[in-house]
Amino acid sequence: MAGPGRQERAADLLPTEPVEAPMVTPELAAGRGGSSAAAFHCPQGPAGRAPGCRSVSVAFPGPVTQQGCCHFACELLKHVLYQRHQLPLPYEQLAYFCRRALPRQPQDGDAIKKKPHPPDLGSSRKCQQLLMELEGVFRHLEAMFNLTLVPRVLILLGGNAMSPKELYEINLEGISVGNAEESLQTPSCVRKLFHSLFLADVFSELQAVPVMGTIVMVQGHRDCGIDWFRPKLNYKVPARGRKLTVNLSCGGNSSTNPSTQQGVTSAWDNYIWFQAPVTVKGFHE
Amino acid sequence: MDEAAGDLKQALPNVCDSVQLHVEVHQKSNSTSKKEDIRLSVLKLLNRHNIVFGDYTWTEFDDGFLNNNVQSVSIVDTELKLKERQPINLSKCNLSIHIFHLNDEGPSTENLEEENENIVAANHWVLPTVEFHGLWESLVYDTEVKSHLLDYVMTTLLFSDKNVDSNLISWNRVVLLHGPPGTGKTSLCKALAQKLTIRLSYRYRYGQLIEINSHSLFSKWFSESGKLVTKMFQKIQELIDDKDALVFVLIDEVESLTAARSAFRAGTEPSDAIRVVNAVLTQIDQIKRYPNVVILTTSNITEKIDTAFVDRADIKQYIGPPSAAAVFRIYFSCLEELMKRQIIYPRQQLLTLRELEMIGYVENNVSRLSLVLKEIARKSEGLSGRVLRKLPFLAHALYIQCPNVTMAVFLQALSLVVDKQFEERKKLADCF
Repeated sequence: MAGPGRQERAADLLPTEPVEAPMVTPELAAGRGGSSAAAFHCPQGPAGRAPGCRSVSVAFPGPVTQQGCCHFACELLKHVLYQRHQLPLPYEQLAYFCRRALPRQPQDGDAIKKKPHPPDLGSSRKCQQLLMELEGVFRHLEAMFNLTLVPRVLILLGGNAMSPKELYEINLEGISVGNAEESLQTPSCVRKLFHSLFLADVFSELQAVPVMGTIVMVQGHRDCGIDWFRPKLNYKVPARGRKLTVNLSCGGNSSTNPSTQQGVTSAWDNYIWFQAPVTVKGFHE
Repeated sequence: MDEAAGDLKQALPNVCDSVQLHVEVHQKSNSTSKKEDIRLSVLKLLNRHNIVFGDYTWTEFDDGFLNNNVQSVSIVDTELKLKERQPINLSKCNLSIHIFHLNDEGPSTENLEEENENIVAANHWVLPTVEFHGLWESLVYDTEVKSHLLDYVMTTLLFSDKNVDSNLISWNRVVLLHGPPGTGKTSLCKALAQKLTIRLSYRYRYGQLIEINSHSLFSKWFSESGKLVTKMFQKIQELIDDKDALVFVLIDEVESLTAARSAFRAGTEPSDAIRVVNAVLTQIDQIKRYPNVVILTTSNITEKIDTAFVDRADIKQYIGPPSAAAVFRIYFSCLEELMKRQIIYPRQQLLTLRELEMIGYVENNVSRLSLVLKEIARKSEGLSGRVLRKLPFLAHALYIQCPNVTMAVFLQALSLVVDKQFEERKKLADCF
């Protein structure tokens, strides 16, 4: 049985690496809401160009898998939701409590040992609903990544898709997609990604926000055949609101760069925005 | 003189020669096809059907591509331009094809976060939206209200496009609709916003409609109300800054905002309220400079509105209760819907007023039911659109109560329910 943190899971996946992964949430959790005074300044990351507009670039030392890209997007979504106060606990913990709360049968021993942290939190209807919606989003994102090359993913908080309050853009255009053998291990890439985010300290200066709706947009090929996401032919990435861009790229000799894979750049015309048909509504304790 | 007239005619091209015809193409929500491809297919479809009579909608197509990608192709608003119902030769017309996707999310809310309070200060729609689909068609007016409003906004945009100096010729982008309650003022505003978004989709990617709850602008803290208004308009300003968006600001029951100034003079309104009015007026002056904004306001009581506001409105349109002819059309559309849903069964062909007129109101098997309906419409005069639209429902609930009925029985029930409406009205009037 996995513990609430990601620490154990990451360790399971990568037994050779020590468990001092900097991306794990407990540390970041302490810094949430700007309470930590630790003045982290991104040493190599670029500073914000305009107020409310920042970017973090992460270069992986080799190709990654398409599933890996999907994983980055999902992990970022979870992270953003927690950091921006839409989830009372990190996603994994919430899901854990929720799963534990669902089957009402007492699991002798195991259940008692766990601290009875939020007895009603995981079982609340709002929480169940939210987790169900999020699971749906993750599942369909996975399907989407299997069907088409995804150059960009947007996480939009508040307002509507055209004018969100906060915008998180994951730019995957620089990624070179490889097959499972030649690609980097996904967990180590996730770790690198979160390490960069942590160093860039992008969340600590933000003010607390009320509960909002979260919209997920994915760019994909026009003819990819996904039916869960709704095509938004007129959509344009909005300029309003606070924006964080996460640029992911692959260094090294890339073989299957998205742009070369598509041949000509005009092929990008066929990449349109799709919107998840659910608005994930956050909740507070 | 003739020469001058000739010149004038040249300066105003295609006024009489060809009619501008609008074709709205509702693209399926899961369709990812390019607009150009759809346009070509729609043109092919229109080529096959040369002549149409008035508005027409296709929902089924021979073409597989259209079937997969398009919900409906509609020739719309022909009655706004052509007084008479006449055959229209599509090949001679100037066709403008508007292809749109509907947004299926509901309204989002704008909060003015004041400390921990979350007052919903505005509802906010991205247009075109599913919610307002068909609203425009459902609104029936006698005078050319709809075409006036459309033409007004078109001219507004033309003037902005041509950079007409607004110090020399001023226009305010403010529309005021006033009239008794239930005549569809708010609905008309929403429908107009939707319609314009579709019509102007070649210029603006999408529309935004912000419906302001005027009462939420009054703060419980003295002297804070003016600030709330400013905050509200700051948010609107952000939307306007997106040049790809056409922004509609809807202030419903504007008299609640602007009645304050005269009341202030009478000493019955606190001075804070007057700040709201002044703030709203200055803010409207601020945003009217932008080409992509239209301010829509409605009011039940025109006398109470501040003259400073009335002057700012370019179009002050009175919207009254529908005339007998309009009532007939409203009932007609209701009955059509009930026949479509097979609550009225079997289907009966009803004649329109114009068709009745053509046969000289002679009663025969074909016209009998339509004449009954005309009579009901005549005695319904004076009821508001809001009431009229719910009468078929009440008729069914009070006098029918079975899954399907014939047209004749339904019309009887409708007639009874109209009488009942007037009785109730009388009773209410007697109470006061």
